[in-house]
Amino acid sequence: MTTGQFFISAWNWNPWVITICGATILIYGARNHFRFGQKSGWLLAGIIIFFITLASPIDTLADGYLFSAHMLQHLLLLLIVPPLILLSRPSAPFPDGFQNGRWKWLNWMLRHPLVNWFLGVGGMWLWHAPMLCNAAVTNPWIHRLQYVSLLLMGFAFWWPIIGPWSRQRLSLLAGIIYLFSACVGCTVLGIIITFSPVEVCSIYLHPVDRLGILPLIQNQWGLTPAKDQQLGGLLMWVPACLIYFCGIFGLFARWHGETGNEISVSKSSTPFTEKSHGH
Amino acid sequence: MSETASAPAAMETPAAASAPRGLFSWIATVDHKRIGILYLLTTLVFFVIGGVEALLIRIQLARPNNTFLSPDAFDQIFTMHGTTMIFLVVMPTLIGLANYLVPLMIGARDMAFPRLNALSFWLLPCGGLLLHFSLLAGGAPAVGWFSYAPLSETPYATTSGVDYWTLSLLILGVGSVAASINLIATILTQRAPGLTIRRLPLFVWMVFINSFLVILALPALNAAIVMLFIDRHLSTHFFAPAHGGSAVLWQHFFWAFGHPEVYIMALPAFGIISEVVPVFARRPIFGYEFVAASTVAIALLSFGVWAHHMFAVGLGHPMDLFFAATSMMIAVPTGIKVFAWSATMWGGAIRLTTSMLFAVAFLIQFTIGGLSGITFAVVPIDWQVTGTYYLVAHFHYVLFGGTFFAVFAGLYYWFPKITGRRLSERLGQLNFWMAVIGFNTAFFVQHFLGLMGMARRIYTYPDLPGWGLLNMISTLGAFLLGASVLVLLWNIFVSLRHGKPAGDNPWQAWTLEWATTSPPPAHNFDRVPPIRSRRPLWDLAHPENPDPIVGGAAAQDGFILEKNRAGIVSFLITESVFFLMLILAYLYYNSHAMNGPTPTSMLNPQRTGIYTLCLLASSLTIWLAGKKLEAKKHSAFRWLLTLTILLGTVFIIGQGREYLRIFHEGVMVNSNLFATTFFTLTGFHGLHVCVGVIALLILMALAFAGDFKQGRIEAVKSIGLYWHFVDAVWLVVFSVIYLRLLL
Repeated sequence: MTTGQFFISAWNWNPWVITICGATILIYGARNHFRFGQKSGWLLAGIIIFFITLASPIDTLADGYLFSAHMLQHLLLLLIVPPLILLSRPSAPFPDGFQNGRWKWLNWMLRHPLVNWFLGVGGMWLWHAPMLCNAAVTNPWIHRLQYVSLLLMGFAFWWPIIGPWSRQRLSLLAGIIYLFSACVGCTVLGIIITFSPVEVCSIYLHPVDRLGILPLIQNQWGLTPAKDQQLGGLLMWVPACLIYFCGIFGLFARWHGETGNEISVSKSSTPFTEKSHGH
Repeated sequence: MSETASAPAAMETPAAASAPRGLFSWIATVDHKRIGILYLLTTLVFFVIGGVEALLIRIQLARPNNTFLSPDAFDQIFTMHGTTMIFLVVMPTLIGLANYLVPLMIGARDMAFPRLNALSFWLLPCGGLLLHFSLLAGGAPAVGWFSYAPLSETPYATTSGVDYWTLSLLILGVGSVAASINLIATILTQRAPGLTIRRLPLFVWMVFINSFLVILALPALNAAIVMLFIDRHLSTHFFAPAHGGSAVLWQHFFWAFGHPEVYIMALPAFGIISEVVPVFARRPIFGYEFVAASTVAIALLSFGVWAHHMFAVGLGHPMDLFFAATSMMIAVPTGIKVFAWSATMWGGAIRLTTSMLFAVAFLIQFTIGGLSGITFAVVPIDWQVTGTYYLVAHFHYVLFGGTFFAVFAGLYYWFPKITGRRLSERLGQLNFWMAVIGFNTAFFVQHFLGLMGMARRIYTYPDLPGWGLLNMISTLGAFLLGASVLVLLWNIFVSLRHGKPAGDNPWQAWTLEWATTSPPPAHNFDRVPPIRSRRPLWDLAHPENPDPIVGGAAAQDGFILEKNRAGIVSFLITESVFFLMLILAYLYYNSHAMNGPTPTSMLNPQRTGIYTLCLLASSLTIWLAGKKLEAKKHSAFRWLLTLTILLGTVFIIGQGREYLRIFHEGVMVNSNLFATTFFTLTGFHGLHVCVGVIALLILMALAFAGDFKQGRIEAVKSIGLYWHFVDAVWLVVFSVIYLRLLL
């Protein structure tokens, strides 16, 4: 099998994934009376990346062949899809029920940045404990649980930065500390994975060649298990941090764009598209 | 976030306005201006020493097969030149300038912690003397400023030079970190009313960001140096491959510090240029927000590019790929800055004073250095030229053509403020042209020498066609550059006595330091002008055409902290990096099997777990103690404090017993890498617990003496925060060392 043939044939039209994508678009459309504006672009991007993550050859490779492909999925689900979906939400006034009503506990959970931080960074560490990492590859139900939990933890993590209720967002300084420390967290994990002589996910060490693509991966692409793990570690280390840094730059753009008093909410609803103005 | 701490003392007129005189008053001073001047004078001395060393190197290299210096003398001198210039000249010069200028530019009376400030300064001559004392004690270090292992290990570096190097760098590192913590606290807590973060002068902004770089990067070096020191004195093998250590780990640790260090030496220089260029172009800076944000981008990215110093080590394709990409990426924010400075000059009414000339030369030379820097991001090119003079040319274009030229620009710009007299423009022009011609002659040809294959760090070279001539040109240029420094020294000497009186604001500049007299009085300001924009003095001089108000009418933003809190938090950040390095070293060395004692055979997780609970309980008691103090329940506070100390002591005793047990089995710190990393990590943590207990004992003594009844809760809170930190670190250490065994 050549690389081209593989990338054409290895799509996985998972009905669950297609249903979720369709349903999300329908719900979003219905809530916005099917008027699609600038913000819908974020949603579309989020959905497309979600689809690519779980239906494209990346998923096939992650399924027992390549640790690095698994890591790519991990990053996309945790760090890319949730913020894109959150950005597509219109900025809403703070709902009353969350302040005093029966949703108060949820409010506390969502607004305590330490909880969110541990969900976001802990999610990364947790699923790379060798036991869980292997289990997620072998058991399909744990596999699905992993996807769902990554998405949820991703939403929880990005909530204090770009959540829809601007009152709950972190201030610039706190936001930078929040994101930078998350970068340190995943850098440390990335460094450990990159330099560890031990296989993090031993299942990837001896892949079961169900599709007959192992020669393609190991000989043509040159991805031996050792290099594969190094690549996976580096993905966690470098690009993951760059995503957090993008968040920091977004915070800066929002901050410089704010005109009035610090307390007042910025009038533009998409923080990340606000332009900062020079002289 | 209290507002009270922000009220600057600048508005008060102190009773004793006249400054004390005499030599002792300089030694005992805690005035940031005097400390700043002391910094600058000290670095000037070291600059001359480092410069003479550079000239000695150039004499040796002037001709092929030269015997002016012996190989060993050459190694010593080039090591001392690098170490001196980086740790004793560039860093402290920039810190000294920040020390003098930051409080003035933010309208403050002094730094947040004046006595800490004096300490940071006095550590500089202390470290400098210690480094040079090695000359009397058997020879200077001769292993390069990077001290690559295993060359720096005992078998290969037999004199005590490297020991002096490690101790001196440790002291200098502590001084730089202390100064940076002070600068962070100052900028966060001492700003005049109206000076919101968004209105900060760019120099202050860049010093602020730079201080974070220092507190995050220096501990990586300190941790590595501590390990090297332990290797040399306790015969351990952190970095000795012959005994299972890793020489590459030294490189990782060193460059994890070393690359941010490049920006530590550049960011404040960018700040100087961002002040000088607008004033002499008579235009506000183009794209303030972009210059400010790109500084943050540089700072963040600088932590993710260090491996490009190690392409030649052979890290494997995936590593090379990622780090080549990030290294190219960091050129973008730097490019944004160059663009902003150029755009500021474009269409401006430029006044070509000496200061501006140096700034323009900076812009050109720094761009050349930056462009040659990008070529190193291309891995094959890096392999080809990383060991040659091409690299020497590159980093001298960045550090001399860049940073030093910016410092000269700043010196000509702020000298009138510091002394009350202007430097001579006539001598200044001479100084500038000699420097710019000398510098480019000395270093531009080195690009060619490097591409022709001339190896750096080697005391001589063979007589190949063209090499002798180009090296001679380089040496002549270096001497012209050296002569230009003599002109500068003469200019300073003459102008101090006969210079034109400066007046308050000789350049019609716009930032706050020009609002006071030259030199400023001990208390800095009689009155701070109102601040509504980034150019308060422009608004004052042009009430008919003021700058637009920046960031609304609010006089304060959310960036006002209590100064003890700002100080302790910055301190804890730098401590966490130190521990992170030790933990990574532990994980690295204990991830594969080795001979001798192992964690499983030596450690008892259950027993240590009990002591761990004691330590965690002490976090609870100190938190409760703080609550009781807030509620003014003083006796409960005192008893909870005592309980905390007891719990902490129990933990230390527990750890001591564990050590004794291990010693009884005949295991010492140098038994194997498990023992080495275990004792290093837990030992440093234990040391921190001891320091915490001592701090708590002091608090307790004060509490029983009746202190804290009138408030001063912040002291208790700060120590409490430190104690929580020590506990949190233990939680991580305990998981890494002990809990892993139960899995």
